[in-house]
Amino acid sequence: MSDGQGSEADADTDPDSETEVAAAEDPNEPTEVRRGLSDRAAFWTSGVLALVIAVGSVWLVGIRGIHFEALNRVSPTIEGGGVGAAWVQGNTLPALDWMITLVHVADVLMGVGILVMFFVHWIAFRRLAARMRPPDAPRRSDEAVATDGGERSNGSRSSSDFRSDGGSEARPTGAPRDRERAGPASDGGEAE
Amino acid sequence: MTNLDHGKFSRVTTMFHSLLALTVFLLFFTGYAVAFNAELWWLVELMGGNQGVLAVHRIAGFALIFLTAFWVLYMLLRMGGSVGITAVLPNLADIQAFVQDVKFAFGMVDERHPNARQFAGYSADEIPLISYIGKGVIAIFTVELILLMVSGLLIWQQSVLIDFYNSQSVVTAFVGFHGLLGVIMMMGVMFHTFEHGFHPAFYPVEMKAFLPKADTPEFHGEAEGESVTGIERLRLKPSWGWVTNVMGVLTLIGIVSVLIASMDYGGYPISETLVFDEGSLLRTVGVNIGILVLFVGLFLSMYGNVLRARYMRQIEREDRRAAATDGGEPSDAR
Repeated sequence: MSDGQGSEADADTDPDSETEVAAAEDPNEPTEVRRGLSDRAAFWTSGVLALVIAVGSVWLVGIRGIHFEALNRVSPTIEGGGVGAAWVQGNTLPALDWMITLVHVADVLMGVGILVMFFVHWIAFRRLAARMRPPDAPRRSDEAVATDGGERSNGSRSSSDFRSDGGSEARPTGAPRDRERAGPASDGGEAE
Repeated sequence: MTNLDHGKFSRVTTMFHSLLALTVFLLFFTGYAVAFNAELWWLVELMGGNQGVLAVHRIAGFALIFLTAFWVLYMLLRMGGSVGITAVLPNLADIQAFVQDVKFAFGMVDERHPNARQFAGYSADEIPLISYIGKGVIAIFTVELILLMVSGLLIWQQSVLIDFYNSQSVVTAFVGFHGLLGVIMMMGVMFHTFEHGFHPAFYPVEMKAFLPKADTPEFHGEAEGESVTGIERLRLKPSWGWVTNVMGVLTLIGIVSVLIASMDYGGYPISETLVFDEGSLLRTVGVNIGILVLFVGLFLSMYGNVLRARYMRQIEREDRRAAATDGGEPSDAR
């Protein structure tokens, strides 16, 4: 999966740093003496570890066989009188069993195909997004704007804009940026 | 005005698309509440309970048959329809488009194939009306819907099957076919939601499916020169990054969970072996995330219609303003 450039190489360093884990980095904050990871590394490390803990703990109680599943179920069983409980046995024709197997195979093949398409599109979208103007780009290009185009415009953004602003005649902001935009709150300034 | 302003659907097709989405989501919610009951038992209660859930499912199924029949007939009977049958059949260029898309994802090429473009670029005339994914969607959904409708009708009144096979329990096999066929479609719809909701140029929803061609301002100018698509001129929405990542993860979990759940699925109502306490907690979470993704799709379908209504009102206002003497040029005219 393409999760930006958050490397977890140093994931085993002590994450108990005094820097706050913030979703958005602020490159302008005064550089104090830091003893922990950088915000970005801490953010992604915490995210991955939290996911591992969450999944692992649930998996752990799952294999311990504590049957949460038995809670308050609409029993689709004969005793429960659920949907379709009129039939007291399953299919008995081998030919139809084969056909069911065939549909199972089709399911798996199509599922894998859909997943491939899904990943191709996700990555393609990220590449396309990297070419677009950053969210804080000025709404309309001014002929007199500074060369580096870094100025934040606080112009109101109409929420009823359907789709991106088709009207602006922006000047190209230099070469298309190759770097992937990492997920949250990218500000045009950081480069790793 | 950019080159992405070109219409795709006729007015009837936009309506059909929205109604079809509504119907299919309802069928998913009712059908899989029953089929994946171990994971979605709560949805049964929401969708009519043990007694009513299949009634709701059948009503939606009836609506699906009507909608599909109407649309196909309408397309066939309308002379000089906007799209010929050849326009929706996959061809060699579509295979090339897929290969190039894979290369594009790996950074081996700089542009997507014209047949892969959701974001048109060039002028609208040079891009096929339907991308290779769009053709795949049409082809797969057509086959799927026909099979689902036929198998659904066969188990609607089981007496036909029981009579033919001279066995009562054989119906469960057809219930199994029906449920398993739907899984392909369910995974496809999750992907479809992701693909059309989270393209950076169209986020949060691609309007081509909601705004009829007749109302879409078309632009047939020259490409602006900086690239073939002019995508550099568009500004990314601030929330695109994290929302797309979250939705991507949810979609992935949803597709995989539904697939795994379907592998264990031996045919409802009575599986090959009677199992109690079946299912796993993780899979339950995953399948429910899949349902959440479907809900997002349903929401986006509604939102597209809201945006259309909003846009049409805006156009109306601008027309009125333009008709006035000299109402100061609207700053944002499209």
